[in-house]
Amino acid sequence: MHDIIRQLAEKRAAACLGGGQKRIDDQHSKGKLSARERIELLLDSGSFEEWDMFKEHRCNDFGMADRSVPGDGVVIGCGTINGRLMFVFSQDFTVFGGALSEAHAEKICKVMDHAIKVGAPVIGLNDSGGARIQEGVASLAGYADVFQRNVLASGVVPQISLIMGPCAGGAVYSPSMTDFIFMVKDSSYMFVTGPEVVKTVTHEDVTAEELGGAITHTSRSGVADLAFENDVEALMMVRRFISFLPSNNREKPPRLPSQDPADRLDFSLDTLVPDNTNSPYNIKELIIKVADDGDFFELQREYAKNIVIGFARMDGSAVGIVANQPLVLAGCLDIKSSIKAARFVRYCDAFNIPVVTFVDVPGFMPGTAQEYGGIIKHGAKLLYAYAECTVPKITVITRKAYGGAYDVMASKHLRGDVNFAWPSAEIAVMGPKGAVEIIFREEKNDPAKLAAREAEYKAKFANPFVAGARGFIDDVIMPNETRKRICRSLAMLRNKQLENPWRKHGNIPL
Amino acid sequence: MFKKILIANRGEIACRVMKTAKKMGIKTVAVYSEADKDSMHVLMADEGVCIGPAASKESYLVIDKIIAACKATGAEAVHPGYGFLSENEEFSRRLEDNGIIFVGPKHYSVAAMGDKIASKKLAIEAKVNTIPGYNAEITDSAQAVEIAKGIGYPVMIKASAGGGGKGLRVAFDDKEAFEGFEACRNEARNSFGDDRVFIEKFVEGPHHIEIQLIADSFGNTVYLLERECSIQRRHQKVLEEAPSPFIDDTIRKAMGEQAVALAKAVNYQSAGTVEFVVGSDKSFYFLEMNTRLQVEHPVTEMITGVDLVELMIRVAAGEPLPFKQEDIKANGWAIECRINAEDPFRGFLPSVGRLVKYRPPEAVEGQVRVDTGVFEGGEISMYYDSMIAKLICHGATRDQAIVRLRDALNAFVIRGIDSNIPFQAALMQNPRFLSGVFTTAFIAEEYPDGFVASDVVHDDPGLLAAVGAFGRRRYIDRAVQVSGQMAGHHRKVGSEWVVQMEGKDYPVVVTPIAGGYSVTHGDDRYDLVSDWKFGELVFHGTCNGVPLCLQLERIGLLYRVVHFGKQVKVTVMTANAARMLALMPKKVPPDLSKFLLSPMPGLLREVSVEEGQQVSAGEKLAVIEAMKMENVLKAERDCKVKKVVTPAGESLSVDQVILEFE
Repeated sequence: MHDIIRQLAEKRAAACLGGGQKRIDDQHSKGKLSARERIELLLDSGSFEEWDMFKEHRCNDFGMADRSVPGDGVVIGCGTINGRLMFVFSQDFTVFGGALSEAHAEKICKVMDHAIKVGAPVIGLNDSGGARIQEGVASLAGYADVFQRNVLASGVVPQISLIMGPCAGGAVYSPSMTDFIFMVKDSSYMFVTGPEVVKTVTHEDVTAEELGGAITHTSRSGVADLAFENDVEALMMVRRFISFLPSNNREKPPRLPSQDPADRLDFSLDTLVPDNTNSPYNIKELIIKVADDGDFFELQREYAKNIVIGFARMDGSAVGIVANQPLVLAGCLDIKSSIKAARFVRYCDAFNIPVVTFVDVPGFMPGTAQEYGGIIKHGAKLLYAYAECTVPKITVITRKAYGGAYDVMASKHLRGDVNFAWPSAEIAVMGPKGAVEIIFREEKNDPAKLAAREAEYKAKFANPFVAGARGFIDDVIMPNETRKRICRSLAMLRNKQLENPWRKHGNIPL
Repeated sequence: MFKKILIANRGEIACRVMKTAKKMGIKTVAVYSEADKDSMHVLMADEGVCIGPAASKESYLVIDKIIAACKATGAEAVHPGYGFLSENEEFSRRLEDNGIIFVGPKHYSVAAMGDKIASKKLAIEAKVNTIPGYNAEITDSAQAVEIAKGIGYPVMIKASAGGGGKGLRVAFDDKEAFEGFEACRNEARNSFGDDRVFIEKFVEGPHHIEIQLIADSFGNTVYLLERECSIQRRHQKVLEEAPSPFIDDTIRKAMGEQAVALAKAVNYQSAGTVEFVVGSDKSFYFLEMNTRLQVEHPVTEMITGVDLVELMIRVAAGEPLPFKQEDIKANGWAIECRINAEDPFRGFLPSVGRLVKYRPPEAVEGQVRVDTGVFEGGEISMYYDSMIAKLICHGATRDQAIVRLRDALNAFVIRGIDSNIPFQAALMQNPRFLSGVFTTAFIAEEYPDGFVASDVVHDDPGLLAAVGAFGRRRYIDRAVQVSGQMAGHHRKVGSEWVVQMEGKDYPVVVTPIAGGYSVTHGDDRYDLVSDWKFGELVFHGTCNGVPLCLQLERIGLLYRVVHFGKQVKVTVMTANAARMLALMPKKVPPDLSKFLLSPMPGLLREVSVEEGQQVSAGEKLAVIEAMKMENVLKAERDCKVKKVVTPAGESLSVDQVILEFE
């Protein structure tokens, strides 16, 4: 018995070293932490419980029979973040470069199965060279098993991916189906085919960083949500991020005791919208001033900046925020911003997180690039997402809500629960100038007349009252009371029940 | 007394005048430009009249429009504030012609003091000290020596056409005067083609000290002691105090009496200020008289207890002064900091934009006074002066006034635009300022290369680290209250942390105490107690039982601590995390010298160069339009344009890359 206990201690010590101290040092020299160090920082100290520490691969080809490392390149288990249960897998680059074997995949599947069963988030720390080539199709099968579980877990438990090293080829598709992807600058990259293949096929000269680095994916492709400076920052930010998400789709979003009065007024918001309707302003000031403690966790802040998405808390409960950003492209909807917001709205809907929408949208972006790119279909995604969404939906129109974009942005007609407008709101088919040029086409050579028409149109439509008269706006509120009114509405909607007709699944225009 | 007065000004001074008018039961009329329609002075007034577009010369400086506004509203009198039309003789005369009372001196007094040469003549006649000098042409060196002797050394030998330090010599004896005259004349001839040279007394170690006075229409003129205004940046006053730490009662009385004599010589009525230059030997000389209320008048009010605006109004309404000279006694000390919308770390470049946050410190009767003309959510436009507020603190002693100013500056929150608060706070720590021994050269000498972050030193960095740890611990104590935890598996919060600040590690132990945390760092212990909450920027509390006020703010994973002008960003983590962070590569910030960055948000109106073009230093690179102002960006050195990163027509944010150089 003593012998066994001694052996256990030895085996544990060996397993904890992964690919050995030298490889851990190599990992450090690349500015990366080891798989276990990452878990240590991610979870509450001392809370991690590891499984399958002794699991090994079963491959006998290409000399692999003699090369076996306990754990087989991935550390799995569960632990807590601020006392909340989390499931974690962390790929160990020091063991076969983190390459995915059948056994490695089985371990990942194990935590995912548990997570789905008990309803807790899965956080994947990715650092892998790809498939374990020596295992051939068994490795590919392993990937597919993980993919399948990603899909089954989607919308059931939150799945978060941290890319902390290479992630190439088929490996990218597991993170890509998770809810959020965070990357580490300079040490992580994601691509389907690497720079060498790109060079031979398309003759493009591109570095791994340019092709699939953190900056590329957070600002150009929109694949990743946020980029962090290093492993430590990334892990600490994930701890913070997870506090906004419920553990599963049956739970309400988590609450933090709020010290910020729900009825706090902010009079500086009364001057946020400039007099000139074409002057921009920063919508994030509004978000920060209405959120609890001014705390707004923005996602995809470098991508499609004409729409702002992220999480905040209102009176202690997490909410999702979607807002047009007048500072960028006048806040119009285009392909990228529609997709960005649509996915976010669907996420909130899947996890019972109320959606607060701030609207200042002049319409959809015109142009051949947009039309050829399929703005019709992509814009429809956002429309579909809002229309399908059954969580509490609160909308505040701060200024422009023109045309089809008005309908899309969580309007009353898409089952908006509470729709407010500021006095500066203008709800109309289009801006006064454009409208007058169409309605009074025959007067187009008479600027004086047109100006008069424009003034007439402005007086009639450039206000919230026409929509208010029809009940499309529940109330016109002063900007200073925005937080108070949203908090009250959220409290009122806490027990909202709304179900869509039964179906296998809808057919969102993908 | 008047029923209604119009204030022909804007900003803090208009608000300040209205405050007194309201106290006196007088209705107020604001005038405002289009850019100012939502400004604080308009909101404060009982009525407002728009007097035209943003540019002052089309609004605040147009006499006709102000007279029309008076007529339209029935205002009986006009208070001009300072600047704009306050020292405009024509304005005061035109008001008189229209039967409107000007709350200020009579136009002839304004006229008499408006001209430098005439006012000096008047001063000499009134037996006021003026800088001795010889204004006629000097023919040779021997004559120059005689004149210099007559004036008394040291003297300044100056070319009539001189400027920029050229053609200027200081002589301390006959020999220097002899040689200096020759050298100066040669230099003047060569540089300016005009060899006329004059000589005047050179005032060593100059101080700018001014006498405030008030006079009524019954011949009573009283001086309200002096103000020390030597802390100046490029001839702009930055900070003023009363009394002056430099002069004594004898000099004070002599200066005061001369100022009164001068005022009487021009039959002065209303508030006015006589400016003197005072040498290190305490000799003083008249410079000029300001025939208006001055920016720095509050320091006088705080030590004398008078309301200068009220007195101006009463005098204008024909009332006599309610006190005599012997009633005026200095009570304690008062210091004023001008709060300007400018970036002290970027050469005091004006800063414009939206005041996202604006929370001045709380006013305390007799101790802390804030004269402000802006509000949170307001807009700072580029059309007017960059001064947005004045912070004035009073204390029984100079030291106490300084302590109160430090605290008040610590609590002054401005976000959205930059302010000179870090600079003012740094002055409050400057040993030379604290000693009270300084001259008008103070800022130039203390900050010869401008003001940089390293000019701000904090004598207790451990405190800043401890405050960071306080913020982090308070965050964690709340984070562990999140709902949905596994019963019985709560997070155990450790007490050992590492604070990283300015490249240094501060290992600390943080333990909860009533109302806060005790933070120990080595032998230093900081018991911090405060009800500071997230989202609040100002931390009011105590450290080891002593009141402490500073700013603490969470930015992502960082905590920003601002105290005594020092701003630090700290990270607080467990010892384990700090050990791992030490393994992370230090990322070198990209070399930005190869880029042209936008210094301000705005519209890129024009890119004046092409890719591959060779440009020389001083050449125009781009034009940015910000707040309707065109700002030309020029090449700092010779270089070649590699790439135009941002094309013309794009809108720019601060530090956005416009061009890349090779």
